[in-house]
Amino acid sequence: MNVIASRFVQAVMVAVLIGTATFIMMRSLPGDAAWRIAAGRYGYDHIDAAAADAVRNELGLDGPALPALLQWLGDLMRLDFGNSLVTGQPVINEITHQLGASVSLACVAILLSLLMGPPLGILAGLKPNGWLDRGLLLVSTGLKAIPQFLMALVLIVVIAVQLRWLPAAGHGEAKHFILPSLTLALGLAAVNARIARDAMARIAEMPFWRFAHWKGLSTRQTLLRHGLRNVAVPLTTYLGLQFVTLVEGVIIVESIFGWPGIGHALVHAIFSRDVPMVQGTALVLGLGFVAVNTAIDLTVRRIDPRVAS
Amino acid sequence: MSLLQAEDITIMDGKTTLLKPLSLRLDPGVPLVILGETGSGKSLMAQAIMGTLPATLTAKGRVAIGKQILNAGAPDQFRGLWGRQIGVLPQEPWLSLDPLMRARNQVAETHTLVRGLHRQQADRQARDDLAALGLAGAENKYPHTLSGGMAQRVAIAAARAGGARIVIADEPTKGLDAPRRDDVAKLLMNEMGDSGGLLVITHDLALAQRLGSQMIVLRRGEVVEQGDTHQIFASPRATYTQEFLEADPERWSPKEPRSPTAPAVVTAHDLTVARANKTLFSGVSFSIAQGHVFGVTGPSGCGKSSLGDALLGLITPRAGQVLRRAGEAPHSFQKLYQDPVSAFPRKRSLGQTLDDTVAFSGCAHGKIDALLEQLDLDPALLKRRPDAVSGGELQRLSLLRVLLRTPSFICADEPTSRLDPITQKRVIALLTQTTQDDGVALMLISHDTALIRNTADTVLALDAQSHENATPDVPRQSVAIPTL
Repeated sequence: MNVIASRFVQAVMVAVLIGTATFIMMRSLPGDAAWRIAAGRYGYDHIDAAAADAVRNELGLDGPALPALLQWLGDLMRLDFGNSLVTGQPVINEITHQLGASVSLACVAILLSLLMGPPLGILAGLKPNGWLDRGLLLVSTGLKAIPQFLMALVLIVVIAVQLRWLPAAGHGEAKHFILPSLTLALGLAAVNARIARDAMARIAEMPFWRFAHWKGLSTRQTLLRHGLRNVAVPLTTYLGLQFVTLVEGVIIVESIFGWPGIGHALVHAIFSRDVPMVQGTALVLGLGFVAVNTAIDLTVRRIDPRVAS
Repeated sequence: MSLLQAEDITIMDGKTTLLKPLSLRLDPGVPLVILGETGSGKSLMAQAIMGTLPATLTAKGRVAIGKQILNAGAPDQFRGLWGRQIGVLPQEPWLSLDPLMRARNQVAETHTLVRGLHRQQADRQARDDLAALGLAGAENKYPHTLSGGMAQRVAIAAARAGGARIVIADEPTKGLDAPRRDDVAKLLMNEMGDSGGLLVITHDLALAQRLGSQMIVLRRGEVVEQGDTHQIFASPRATYTQEFLEADPERWSPKEPRSPTAPAVVTAHDLTVARANKTLFSGVSFSIAQGHVFGVTGPSGCGKSSLGDALLGLITPRAGQVLRRAGEAPHSFQKLYQDPVSAFPRKRSLGQTLDDTVAFSGCAHGKIDALLEQLDLDPALLKRRPDAVSGGELQRLSLLRVLLRTPSFICADEPTSRLDPITQKRVIALLTQTTQDDGVALMLISHDTALIRNTADTVLALDAQSHENATPDVPRQSVAIPTL
């Protein structure tokens, strides 16, 4: 119960901080916001000074900053995110629509990374300094060192352009999931393989690992009964931290693969100075981080009785 | 017919012989104790019988268990005996239980996986096993909520659930106080019963005496004496056995009482100390003079270590005062830890660590050499890492490190509880002699009342507040940040 209460307070603070910070950043960006918004609405080829002025008057962009900020924070209390300055649609509608696309991509990516990283990590951890362990260290360090935009481009060039196995971009079919989620998953798996490997190597050194063998259990039984359970604790904890990597990755990967998700929307909203959209999107990502970590906390408590006491 | 017969077990490290041919037999209902100091090869013997010798060592000899005859040189053959024929009582019962699994399930899994019982049957059997050991009501507890004694009973139930008749226990009483040590002796005797076999490896004289029956005294891989335990205790034939028995703190010559003439280095006034909102002791007052040994004794969990920490200023007492002699530098109060291995950085040589202390405290480098000689330590040890020297040497090196800071007060918290009696006697003698010569006030904390009685100038005995509820320091699992 304590966890939930403290996380709730955290969520409120995140909301206020993100709201204020994005507001200040958007106000201090160079360029004329009215022009950008007008361009977002009508396209760059169809705007002139008159259109920009019309937008300026309509949205009251000349007004002082503080009332605008307080107005937004007040609306937030009533869970009203406002309307997009570009499309005029309620921000909440746009976000819920895009969030679905992003969450499904993120889930597939995490699932894929968990299928790749931890099993390899556990096998490597069972034989520290074996060929698998050393190979895995090399590969995971390499994968982690490649920035995600580069990884995405390499995958597009090799698999989509050269081999023509999969589409380079798009959304709607299962095959469209593969390249963007693989881009994200490789980065995630590189790290969680290492976490699993270190945890497994440490557990295999623990007296209870040896004692399970002495009870008469085979190594396979010991791994299934005691190894996985104990590896799961640090791995789950780390999953919460990986969410940051994931959000960062989603913004880049969605833009590259044209995935209609929240990251893609955020980038576009910034380009066209759509302040309510930026605030709304950043807020949802921030609160998502709190929600994921609350879920992780509760899960770890379920697995590890020592945390709760 | 004997349960286990080992013939001519020899253990070699390359060309060095670590254990000369040793034969032993285990008969039903007759416990066998192998007694020896650290490095005598007694643990290696147990490992050879279990097939757990490190791969770098080679063993020779035959082990007959029931009708099976195994070759000690082929450890893989022993694997199938674990849990089924041989049960092991682990040294660290807390750490030997899976921290994330309930006590009952840790026993039940042996019944299902090793004996092949059905789940429900195994579960019922596990409940019965634990109830028989006086653990009814604790079946659903997790290891971190069990006391050390309870964890040990869960471990032995789990170790034997596969049907093992032979129990091997390697140092089962390391670091335990007298009541708990007797509990372990009783537990082992009960588990053995009339039909089981029991092999205990130890340096604990009191444990050996309580188990009785047969005993083998080992020294540097060689049998010094072998025979009936009570007879050996009553009239040891070998000089080494005599020396070993003399090292029992019970038999130390008592210290001549001295009245404090020197000024007090530290004074406690009406001290009350609590940990986690539980008062450990209250209204304790005393002072420790220069060159004097102040002994603190009492059962586990009575607050001995907390008293030391309060004097050192590591914890704030709930009430009362700790007064240091005027003009004391902050670092002049030092602590000597129980486990020297964890008090040194693992991956640095001991010399490097001591050089750091010298650089930090600004004393002359020659002081290390002087102290090495004073503490009878070989300078060559400094090139090694902490895990490559013996416990006794390492504890003397920790004392050396503490002395480099020219302390006026040392709190030695169970400094020898992990050492064998002969080494313990030596370390305690050096510790008290050195502090007396240097005019250091020494607080010596130990659960061993005889040791304190025969060593200290003044004795403070703390009472037990809650014997069974004392919670252990179970290492928490932490998230390892990988090397990327």
